[in-house]
Amino acid sequence: MRPRTSLAIAFALLLGVAGGVAAEDRTVPLAVEEAGFAPAEIEAPAGARVRLEVTNRTAVAIEFESFELNRERVIQPGQTAAVYVSGLGPGRYEFFDDFHQQRRGALLVR
Amino acid sequence: MLETLLIAWRESLEAALVVGILLTYLARSGQRSAVPYVWVGSLLALLAALACGLVSNDAASHLDADLQELLQAGILFLAVAVLTWMILWMHRNAAGLGDELRRKADQALATGRLVSLAAIAFVAVFREGLETVLFLWGVLVQRPDLTALPFVAAGLGGATLAVATAWLFFRGFRFLSLRRFFRVTGILLLLVAAGLLVSGVNKLIGLGYLSPIVAQVWSTAWLVRDDSPLGAFLAALVGYRSRPSLAELLAFVTYVPLMLWALHRVDASRAPAERAAARSAA
Repeated sequence: MRPRTSLAIAFALLLGVAGGVAAEDRTVPLAVEEAGFAPAEIEAPAGARVRLEVTNRTAVAIEFESFELNRERVIQPGQTAAVYVSGLGPGRYEFFDDFHQQRRGALLVR
Repeated sequence: MLETLLIAWRESLEAALVVGILLTYLARSGQRSAVPYVWVGSLLALLAALACGLVSNDAASHLDADLQELLQAGILFLAVAVLTWMILWMHRNAAGLGDELRRKADQALATGRLVSLAAIAFVAVFREGLETVLFLWGVLVQRPDLTALPFVAAGLGGATLAVATAWLFFRGFRFLSLRRFFRVTGILLLLVAAGLLVSGVNKLIGLGYLSPIVAQVWSTAWLVRDDSPLGAFLAALVGYRSRPSLAELLAFVTYVPLMLWALHRVDASRAPAERAAARSAA
């Protein structure tokens, strides 16, 4: 088998991962303002597929980041980005603005 | 200000490490004529990042945020493909180099390979450069007077520190024998490619196109925190994240063994030819 063939197999395996997407999304809006995240705490049910709609209401680029959610997104001023998280167990998942680290918030999963 | 320095260091580190691997490899393998291509790729990326930073506050010029992210994921997968090809030809090259190096001062690379070197440097620098530029641009916009200068200086200092970190890291490589050097850089590039692949998968999961399958397989945050210097270094080099999803792990454990096997095949196919060459030389 040539390297090219092995790559094709790897890609096919990756695509196979796309299969298990859950049906229902829960949309949770989240704004980034000068003072911080609004609201600072958001909630979602355990196991659900959640679509965080993060809007940057400040004048400069922000980076929505969370080590606990394993997500990072640079969002330019005025833009809204969809950040999906799914299958989370109950707990508190913190996030912050990596470019302005005094802005912090958390997703509470119950 | 320290925070600005640290953010800029972290954002620039991946670019510095990738460019560092390429330059170290070319220098050590006697292919110095290819070095300018790496620099040109890096420089073009820096200019492109600056240009994107300049238009970033003009909302009308923006692509949809999710489309941008999808585009970035696409670029990552393309980079993985180019890097994969590069690792294979570097490996093929490296084997024959041991003796040839002494005979030939310099080795010319085919155009496609030169372009791939420039392209990888471009992607590495643009990806992280754009974030650094957007971040520093934000700092500048928030303080539109001289008080911004120390922050911009701290940002540039952080980027310089990232270059220094990469330089120190690769200085250690000069103590390796040529044979071991090629093996180590090959493995490093392979891990870089795997890291980029995992980043691309992470983006697709974040966009809702892929299921994580299992959101968090484990957490190694107790061992290496993502925001620690070591965590940042490992993230930049091999895409370390403390709480990977199963989909990301699958991408990693599919890619790495397949590549190791492909490299092994290169070795196996070369061995008979080498024996024949040795016979004819004798």
